[in-house]
Amino acid sequence: MHSLDARVKFIAAVIFTAVVISLPRTSFAILFCYTVGPFAVLVLGRIPLKFVFKQILLVSPFILVFALSCPLYDKTPVKIAFGPSVFQTTIGWMRCFAICGKFIVTMLALIALVSTTRFSNLLAGLRKMGVPKLLIIQLGFLYRYIFVLIDTAQHLLRARAGRTLRNLGPKQEMKTASAMLGSLFIRSIGTAERINIAMQGRGFNGNWRTILRLKISNNDYIFGVFFVVFIISLYFFASTVLN
Amino acid sequence: MAKTIEIKNFSYKYPDGTVALSDIDLSIEEGQKVVLIGPNGAGKSTLMLAMAGFATGRGEIIVKGLKIEKKNLKKIRTVIGCCFENPDDQLFMPTLFDDVAFGPLNMGFDTEQVKMRVAQALRTVGMEAMAEKAPHHLSAGQKRAAAIATVLSMSPEIIALDEPDGSLDPRNREKLVGLLKNLSQTLIIATCNMNFAAAIGDRAVLVDKGRIIADGDAKEIMFDTKLMTEYGLERPAMVA
Repeated sequence: MHSLDARVKFIAAVIFTAVVISLPRTSFAILFCYTVGPFAVLVLGRIPLKFVFKQILLVSPFILVFALSCPLYDKTPVKIAFGPSVFQTTIGWMRCFAICGKFIVTMLALIALVSTTRFSNLLAGLRKMGVPKLLIIQLGFLYRYIFVLIDTAQHLLRARAGRTLRNLGPKQEMKTASAMLGSLFIRSIGTAERINIAMQGRGFNGNWRTILRLKISNNDYIFGVFFVVFIISLYFFASTVLN
Repeated sequence: MAKTIEIKNFSYKYPDGTVALSDIDLSIEEGQKVVLIGPNGAGKSTLMLAMAGFATGRGEIIVKGLKIEKKNLKKIRTVIGCCFENPDDQLFMPTLFDDVAFGPLNMGFDTEQVKMRVAQALRTVGMEAMAEKAPHHLSAGQKRAAAIATVLSMSPEIIALDEPDGSLDPRNREKLVGLLKNLSQTLIIATCNMNFAAAIGDRAVLVDKGRIIADGDAKEIMFDTKLMTEYGLERPAMVA
């Protein structure tokens, strides 16, 4: 899975996400079938599932706030059948579960993509697919320097913790936090200036040049065929069940 | 020997008016390994930046027969390769390969030539197996070596390194000394570490408050205890 071309995986992830999002909110059983795809990629890619669920949990608060608001504004009663049992609920709750289900399935696909693809390959793939160069450069710098920024922020926090011997109150804490943010900002500007000098030192004149070393292999074609068959089969299965 | 760099009566002020370099006269010959020594804030890094055309002031700097001025900068930067103090500033691409390829691509080499140069530069610093690694996954010593590879791939005739031994443990410092000693290019190294300077340099230039205080044989200058103490430096413990 890791050796597959980034473009193939990216296109597959986008199509998969679009298909999952367009599923009707009542089709929970079909949604469940769709999880097979990203799970297969994660298992074949030897990505620990504990890590996957941790990542999902990490971003879930954002979507939960949105999903849990649905039952509040749509209380139209509805009956749903689950095997022989019939339940009484509201459209709001249906929408809430559909959002949560789709979120989990699409997150699985996204995690499968990013954990089996190097960021540099993903950027190169996007570049080859025609994404503007400027955006790719921005993303590349963001990914490269986010770790440096996090490191610097942690050093600042550690230095503060080492000298914080008592609670100074919210006003003083706010003052300290804003001073730290300011320091971080000034350091970032300094870093940017030094990077600019380093780039100029190596002949950079505003024209970004890189070697794109991506190649579609037989394995990519096999993956593509499997993916298309999977999506089409589920589409027909879903149409039959829903009718 | 032919003069590689010639600095005549060069002075430089920071934008806030602070004098960084005053009346610098210095000439460096081909193949020399020159160490710029001096206390913190002496002007070593600024002098190095001036040699690569990043700090323009009063006076004249000639690199390989080319006067430092806007029209010559492109050529000068293919002649002099600079490694800055923090390798994180030097390694800005997503992978080590892309970082080492950055310079040759800007020089206009075709893909095959670039790949060859990258492979050669990485082999020189012993990092050929790490080409696909992201720079933030490298150790401090590896980052330092990788930063040197980024300029080696451009085959510069002069390599200028600012505090290359900073934050390196003794084993990695030893490796770096070995690597730098084996380079055939003219080397200009700014450092406060006298043991490191003594292990590499055959000529030392002592800088303080933006002026050249002493210039001559590295051992003679660095083993002058009185001179070293006067300028807040230390006598090297030994010479490798």
